[in-house]
Amino acid sequence: MTQVALRPPLVPQPLHPERWLGRLGREGADRRLSIRRELSRRLDVLVPAVLTEVLRRAHLTEMLVRYVDLDTVVAAVDLDAAAARLDVDDVVRRVDVDAVVDRVAVDSVVDRVDVGAVVRRVDVDSVLDRIDLTAVVLGRVDLDAVLDAVLNRIDLTSVVLERVDLDALVQAVLARIDLVALAEEVIDAVDLPEIIRESTGSMASDTVRGARMQGIAADEAVGRAVDRLLLRRGRRTTQAPGAGLSPEQPEKTPIPAQTDRTR
Amino acid sequence: MSGGGVSPLPREARPYQGQRAGLVTRLVAAAIDGAVVGLVLLGGYLALAGLLFLVDPRSFTFPDTHLIVSLASGFVVLVVYLTISWRVSGRTYGCLVMGLRVVGPRGQNMRLVGSLVRALFCAVFPVGLLWIAVSRANRSVQDTVLRTSVVYDWQPRGAPGHPTPPDGT
Repeated sequence: MTQVALRPPLVPQPLHPERWLGRLGREGADRRLSIRRELSRRLDVLVPAVLTEVLRRAHLTEMLVRYVDLDTVVAAVDLDAAAARLDVDDVVRRVDVDAVVDRVAVDSVVDRVDVGAVVRRVDVDSVLDRIDLTAVVLGRVDLDAVLDAVLNRIDLTSVVLERVDLDALVQAVLARIDLVALAEEVIDAVDLPEIIRESTGSMASDTVRGARMQGIAADEAVGRAVDRLLLRRGRRTTQAPGAGLSPEQPEKTPIPAQTDRTR
Repeated sequence: MSGGGVSPLPREARPYQGQRAGLVTRLVAAAIDGAVVGLVLLGGYLALAGLLFLVDPRSFTFPDTHLIVSLASGFVVLVVYLTISWRVSGRTYGCLVMGLRVVGPRGQNMRLVGSLVRALFCAVFPVGLLWIAVSRANRSVQDTVLRTSVVYDWQPRGAPGHPTPPDGT
């Protein structure tokens, strides 16, 4: 029956109801699709705006607290499973600790802490036993600044004068110092013999000294020349046994070719 | 300077004290000693002439000096002069001027026999002095044979810092 209705006999095929019904169906499908797309596009625009306005007016948090039994909801949540799925390391990596610390009001936290009670509970002796206090002080304390501050506050001169037995101190210092050796060092440093020679020496002694020094210089020159001729290496061993006359002999210095005799 | 007092020596000369002297200094000292011996001989000759003049002024003439006698006199004077100088102070006048001192094998002062033998050796073979230039230890032939040394020593005897020789003299 339906076949006959859709394809009546003796009717040309292009005029069969099946044909134009099929065409009509396809056009309807296209129309539905375009309407659905248009509707979706408009909803995309409309729904967020409407929802925003609704949520703004609805006080959702208040409604949630009033109408939802949060304890029941939380009790239904499997927190262990959730925690097991949580990658804590990743979370920690993502946390900007500096920013968190910046946002913490440390002063107010400290104000709320009873430091005295905390300190009373600390076993200071055991803490001190574990700390190399000397190293800590040497490494972290600006001792120069501390010393400067202390010295600025006290009158060191008066402290020394009042509390130090200067006589005993001087006696102890003098007992430790070899004054004779010290005097000899000073005399040697200023070359006192040279000063005495210059102030008392005669022209003759200056001449003799110059002749001796030039003789020594000539001796060394001749020795070097002969050694070079004989293709010798190294210095001559001229130290006579038991004849060292200067206990502390300074390094040899080159002798000038012409000794200044007018000094 | 420790323990020995203040050295009166010039600073530049101190390193050389106790070192064996070289050829030039010792040649100069030897020349001065030669001059001293010459002066002594001349003085002796003049003294002899003066004595002859006093004995017989009328027939006085300067005495003749034979070469052998002169050489022998010079030899004797030189040996005596060197022996006494080395024995007494370790220095002849030439050594005194040039700041030298003759010491024995261990740095001690020369004894009489050693001084005499060395003086004879030096008088007989003065050319041995030239061996100093060749010797690596600045020793003459006499020093090498007798194991003596001639060192720079500017310190006057008995001055502070001057060590007492091992023989105590």
